[in-house]
Amino acid sequence: MSRRLRVGLVSFAHVHAPALASTLRGLEHVEFTGIHDDDPARGRVAAKEHAARWHETLDGLLAASEAVVIASTNFDRRRYTEAAAAKGVHVLSEKPLATTVVDGRAMIDACRRAGVQLGVAFPVRSSPAVIALREAIAGGVLGRIRAVRATNPGQYPGSWFGDKRLAGGGAVMDHTVHAADVIRWLVSDEFVRVQAELGAFIYGLEVEDCGILSCDLAGGAFASIDCSWSRPQTFPTWGGVTLHVVGDKGTVDVDVFRQALTHYDDTTGRARLVGWGDDLTVRMIGDFVDAILAGSPVPIDGEEGLRALEVAIAAYRSADTKRPVAITDLRV
Amino acid sequence: MSGRGRSERSALFYTLAGVALRVGILGAGFAGAMHARSALGLDDVRVVAVAAVPLDQAAALAKECGARVATAEQICTADDVDLVVVATPTHLHAEYATMAARAGKHVFCEKPIARTREQAEEMVRACDAAGVTLAVGHVVRYFPEYQRAKQLLDDGTLGRPAIATLVRGNFSVGSAREWYLDDAKSGGVVLDLMLHDLDTVRWWFGEPSRVYARRFTGGGGLEYALATIRYDDRPIVQVEASWAEHAGFRTGFELRGDRGMLVHDSRDASPLTVQSPAGPAGPAMMATPTLAESPYRRQLRDLFARIRRGERPRVDGHEGLRSLALGLAVIESADRGSVIAWKAPA
Repeated sequence: MSRRLRVGLVSFAHVHAPALASTLRGLEHVEFTGIHDDDPARGRVAAKEHAARWHETLDGLLAASEAVVIASTNFDRRRYTEAAAAKGVHVLSEKPLATTVVDGRAMIDACRRAGVQLGVAFPVRSSPAVIALREAIAGGVLGRIRAVRATNPGQYPGSWFGDKRLAGGGAVMDHTVHAADVIRWLVSDEFVRVQAELGAFIYGLEVEDCGILSCDLAGGAFASIDCSWSRPQTFPTWGGVTLHVVGDKGTVDVDVFRQALTHYDDTTGRARLVGWGDDLTVRMIGDFVDAILAGSPVPIDGEEGLRALEVAIAAYRSADTKRPVAITDLRV
Repeated sequence: MSGRGRSERSALFYTLAGVALRVGILGAGFAGAMHARSALGLDDVRVVAVAAVPLDQAAALAKECGARVATAEQICTADDVDLVVVATPTHLHAEYATMAARAGKHVFCEKPIARTREQAEEMVRACDAAGVTLAVGHVVRYFPEYQRAKQLLDDGTLGRPAIATLVRGNFSVGSAREWYLDDAKSGGVVLDLMLHDLDTVRWWFGEPSRVYARRFTGGGGLEYALATIRYDDRPIVQVEASWAEHAGFRTGFELRGDRGMLVHDSRDASPLTVQSPAGPAGPAMMATPTLAESPYRRQLRDLFARIRRGERPRVDGHEGLRSLALGLAVIESADRGSVIAWKAPA
């Protein structure tokens, strides 16, 4: 039998935490070492629910683990990552990597110094449709890629996601990075310039709930990202990820979560989409774990997480200055 | 009667009551043919003359309408023409519209009103001076899906608009209509296609405060543009226009207010779908009307009724000029890579 990696889950603050816990519990190559949470009440309930061991202390979980998935608030990601690195534990960070470029850089440096790997959770890259598109682009099937219109709209997640300090922002922090990462990956290119229009229009929050980013890539293509929490509470699903890709030789539409049944449910008085496509979280964590076990580089590392974060940070600066912002201006 | 003031009834009003409105058509391409056929179905309207380059295209459309073939100049000055439909390539709109206005004809001009702001201003001045109607064919204002959205915005059903996306795509017109590919003549995908949605955005939300846009123009008519239109407070609007929609024409919008959201996709909106063993390239077996009266015919019916009543058209020259100016701001932003502050022409 092949070796299993001992993996723990740090914090249950993130909305993705339940899916991450279920995945860790179910993956063949993973020995789920348990859960630690700064909020013991929340953590104990979660541990019980997922039949996982509860660790009263972070050090206890880290001592039992070779790697951890960090599902904390965005703000707490740095301190948890630095603690894990200090104990020689690999990290898979929820997205966005951090709330500032400085924090993201510090996480990368801490892991490099400690000789552990830092991965970032971008499950959209695990979509077979997205992978097929990347291969088509790489093979020249679509010709030169000229433009991408990406959307990652969702419902407002609530909780700390609307808290400027803990989340680092609103819809831009929550949703820009998925689209930014997948665009970078699809066209093998980097963002160089970002313009954004943002607004807090729907939920009366201190952070933005609406945003459109217009971006230039180094190779001359441009892209837009709709990161808005624009899906009404009556929308039949949480949101979605779409890509409209225009190349010289072809145009492609991707709707990552299109594979869904429509469930008209009299008990709730609503229609809901019931997805039946591949479980992207399973594929994403599986690939991370396999890379650690093989001693090879993780599929999406901290540098890549930082590239995506920079796009979100640039969007805030553009909205403040009402001008396009060069990504390089964020690095000085 | 002079008919100089815009609020006054036009001189032609009295001659038109109860008699046929005589229409001359300039251009027999997509728009010219569409407007001619739409006019044909209306009571008290006659298409009397058609001008086009090439001539055989004009002859075919003229025959279909029971009209004569003439030159554009002849139509603009003919005694038996009350209204001239200007459906020539965009860069020629101003020349013929002003010629027709000076001869006392009403003008219905396909959108965009003109290629440049100066041309549009000249058309507005000429029509105002002659006391004739100048109407611009922003036909989306007659599409019921867009009208319903406007109604749900106006009556508060959607709450305050927060964010909207409008998309419009078509296959590349390619070399079939060469002038489209000449930016100096057509203004490309922004003035041809995006202008519909820019006009709709103004119609729905009023005048924005700033604009940012990106576009590319590839070879062979491939063209694509994205614009972000920002209002002082709200909403934020994204507009997409594509000549890279190889599957064919489509429109869509998503309109989110703080109390709900509307979604439209023309690809999911047809009550009638036809397929045959011959495949997609096979012969059309049947007509596929989706509305009892097309938006194009509704547009002309409304315009002609307003002219007969001496009322202003729904989209007059000033309004057409403002939408053109917004399109030009989009192009300027895309070319310069900077945010353009928007101030609507008077």
